[in-house]
Amino acid sequence: MTEHDFDDETLMAFADGELDEATSVRLEAALAADEALAERLAVFFESRQLVADALKPLIDEPVPEALLQSVRRMAEEAKDGASAGSNVVPLRPKHRPVNRWTEHRWVLPLAASIVAVITGVVGFTVGRNLDPATMDSSAQIAAVLDREASGRDVALGTSGETLHVIATFRDKNGSLCREYELKQPSKSTLSIACRQDQTWVTQLALTSARAVGYVPASSQEMIDSYLSSIEAGAPMSLEEERGILVP
Amino acid sequence: MQTVPDRLVAFLPNLRRFAISLCRSRELADDLVQAACERAILAADSFIPGSRFDAWMFRILRNLWIDHLRRQKTAGPHDELEEARDVSVPSGEAASLARMDLREVSSALQKLPDEQREVLVLVCVEELSYRDTAEVLSIPIGTVMSRLARARKNLAELTGISFGEKRSFDTKGGVA
Repeated sequence: MTEHDFDDETLMAFADGELDEATSVRLEAALAADEALAERLAVFFESRQLVADALKPLIDEPVPEALLQSVRRMAEEAKDGASAGSNVVPLRPKHRPVNRWTEHRWVLPLAASIVAVITGVVGFTVGRNLDPATMDSSAQIAAVLDREASGRDVALGTSGETLHVIATFRDKNGSLCREYELKQPSKSTLSIACRQDQTWVTQLALTSARAVGYVPASSQEMIDSYLSSIEAGAPMSLEEERGILVP
Repeated sequence: MQTVPDRLVAFLPNLRRFAISLCRSRELADDLVQAACERAILAADSFIPGSRFDAWMFRILRNLWIDHLRRQKTAGPHDELEEARDVSVPSGEAASLARMDLREVSSALQKLPDEQREVLVLVCVEELSYRDTAEVLSIPIGTVMSRLARARKNLAELTGISFGEKRSFDTKGGVA
């Protein structure tokens, strides 16, 4: 019996644990007597080991924060969408980081899978400063925008209002911008403000009657199209934010 | 039973490793992973409970990658691949002899044709069976085997590492 009874693919299958029992027994018997065969086999054992040694450690690299957050958010949205029925959209922001894949229409927009129907009054102002009615709190809001990390509810004074910064990004001019939601007892306002000369200037504000936990899909669409019009960069990670916010 | 969205987050390190070995660029890989996750959520219904989640995800990601390559081909030369770099060795680590071997292996891997590299990675790194690999790649199992055998012989040649000899890693533990 010679090594020619076993071709490369058979040897490889043995090394990979994919060879059937009968052939394996035959091969093992042949190996005992045939050194050349053993060396050919070793190529397949060792190549497997080498590739594994070279690439397996990649799994220990920390997943970049931005990617992790974005996938978490998608997963939560998907679950919320599934459990809350098909007619609502979760509060979590839906605009995704600028991604060459989505730009190239690799994927259907996530929004298309979630249909939102909520009645409510939506009014919006574009390019105005903060609503006069909330002027008193505008200094407080500016302070929060200067300091607070995204993703947390911050109570504003004793008014019962809370402010939730959703995301931080830069527009095409490099200005620092933040998307935030101001929750008041009867309504909530979704805004985008950008910092110009040390002042937060509201670029877009959408107010809707308060429906706890939800924003109308139309406001989210408005926000999304506004964000793309100013060529908003990808939302910053919490780490990037820390480097920029006032300590 | 864990749903697709539940499993995605836990599977990210794996998915990212596969993406990096396909695109040879972390930046591209991260975008690719994100796109694959989006698609997986949309297509969650097509996942058959009890079947291999990893193979299902790899297939989604790999199909997106192929689409991307195809588009690049029709769109003319592109600069993205020039960002490709040595992906396997974390920077800033002291080189040891063992590590040099790995560097050699990883640069050899980059030289392999894409179709050989992907079977290698699926079988030797992600430890998929031949059958699962065939499914991920939508090719017959015989093709998986012939590509995989060719890939390994090429790798042996490219690394110039003499297989069959016992390689010593004694030098690794030289720190007093």
